[in-house]
Amino acid sequence: MTRHHAQDARQQVTDLVGPTLRIDPSLCDGVGICAHLAPDLIALDSWGYPIIDDHALTRKRLMRQAQSVVSACPKKALFIQG
Amino acid sequence: MSGQNVTVDRSIFGGATAVVPRGGTETLSGVSRMDLASHRAAFGRRTSSRGQAGAALIDELAAVALTGRGGGHFPAAVKWRSVASAGTGGIVVVNGAEGEPGSAKDAVLLQTRPHLVLDGVIAAMEVTGAREGVVWLHQGADSTVRSVRSAIAERIAASEDELPLRVVLAPDRYVSGEATSIIRTIEGGPTLPRFVNNPAQPWSDGGRPILVNNTETMARAGLIALRGAAQYVPTSLVTVISRGYRSVIEVGVDETFGTLIGSHWSDFAAGEPQAVLLGGYGGSWVSWSDVRRLRVDPVALKPAGLSIGAGLVGPLPATACGIEESTRIVNYLAGQSARQCGPCVFGLAAVAQLCDDLTAGALTSAGRKRLTRFMGEISGRGACRHPDGAIRMVTSALHVFGADVSRHRRGRTCNAKVYGVMPLPGELS
Repeated sequence: MTRHHAQDARQQVTDLVGPTLRIDPSLCDGVGICAHLAPDLIALDSWGYPIIDDHALTRKRLMRQAQSVVSACPKKALFIQG
Repeated sequence: MSGQNVTVDRSIFGGATAVVPRGGTETLSGVSRMDLASHRAAFGRRTSSRGQAGAALIDELAAVALTGRGGGHFPAAVKWRSVASAGTGGIVVVNGAEGEPGSAKDAVLLQTRPHLVLDGVIAAMEVTGAREGVVWLHQGADSTVRSVRSAIAERIAASEDELPLRVVLAPDRYVSGEATSIIRTIEGGPTLPRFVNNPAQPWSDGGRPILVNNTETMARAGLIALRGAAQYVPTSLVTVISRGYRSVIEVGVDETFGTLIGSHWSDFAAGEPQAVLLGGYGGSWVSWSDVRRLRVDPVALKPAGLSIGAGLVGPLPATACGIEESTRIVNYLAGQSARQCGPCVFGLAAVAQLCDDLTAGALTSAGRKRLTRFMGEISGRGACRHPDGAIRMVTSALHVFGADVSRHRRGRTCNAKVYGVMPLPGELS
């Protein structure tokens, strides 16, 4: 496993199929509101920090959930790429 | 004898082995420092890498498949091209603040071959149109800082470079060597890793383009700039950890870990090691039977799922316990978190605690399940790769030292007679 595998894979997904929900983990404080607003995209880990589904936001419902958490996050840690 | 397959006049150290203490790099023996005159006599004069020559040099870096030697192994040509195409007026940084506590290759390069590294920096500046060159060093690394400052002074006295070079000192922390920590500092921020969305542009939008390469990468770029790709020999610099000292050795791609460790590890006469920690403290444990026949070649290691990382080679004596050793290391790594990302701050601390329990023979079945769950939740979720490395090391330990795991889990004392094999900062060596 190289250090760049995950990033490369993510980049390829974005390039091939469309936009994805992403997070800057250094901004996230584990508020957790995102997991309530986007249950299909976000689960919380053992410490209350979001684990984000990095599949492309191809369906309207998923895109709407993603957009709602991007604007709701008080730390502005989430964004949509692609 | 190492380097049998390294042609002496083409190699960086000419077949010599450098020896440094277990802790720090203030004293060094085995390789002497080349000043500017001896460097030019050995490696030749530098020609300009501007314009067409610059494009040709990038092609040469690509031709020899030069990758970053700080741990990430990202292709150097891709980085250089990206910075060159971002416009002129940027900054080139050579990262001499290696975070790996066990590794000493960068300090040895900067103390003995500073001009090879600086030739790489100047070439990178010319290729990318950068206006500033920075040598990024740990503030506590006095001998290294002295050597680099003298080298810059020698070049000024000899009117070698018209491009300015300066030394910037970083705090003595593990994450100070993260490229994004360096970029953030140069942009006026704190020396902490930063989340980078686009790996091809690690600097801030609208900011000056910044190229960061590890010291060994830059020395190799310097070699290629001086000699051309046709003369380049793809060796690796590794640090072998012995009981009372560390050796920095230049190894050819045909040498195996078996012969490297057989000839450079002080404990070998007393018996073969049970396993080797490969790459760094965030690297992987590999059993002796698996690693001994592998070649010290980043390309050959890849299919085995391994990396030469920052070049650390840490043999573990048969008389030591891999679980004890890994617990010490994961506690150190957890303590070195930049404390920015939740999964790193809380996750590594939780994993370290459970490893403590395991070592103490107090890990319950529920604890074992928590450990497995936590380890699956951390990788890939920090702004930098620090937590990924810690989890990789623990994962490999639980796999390679399975017998020790069951011994500890049954609450028995383990058989270890040797502790503290891998040196940690702050411990007496």
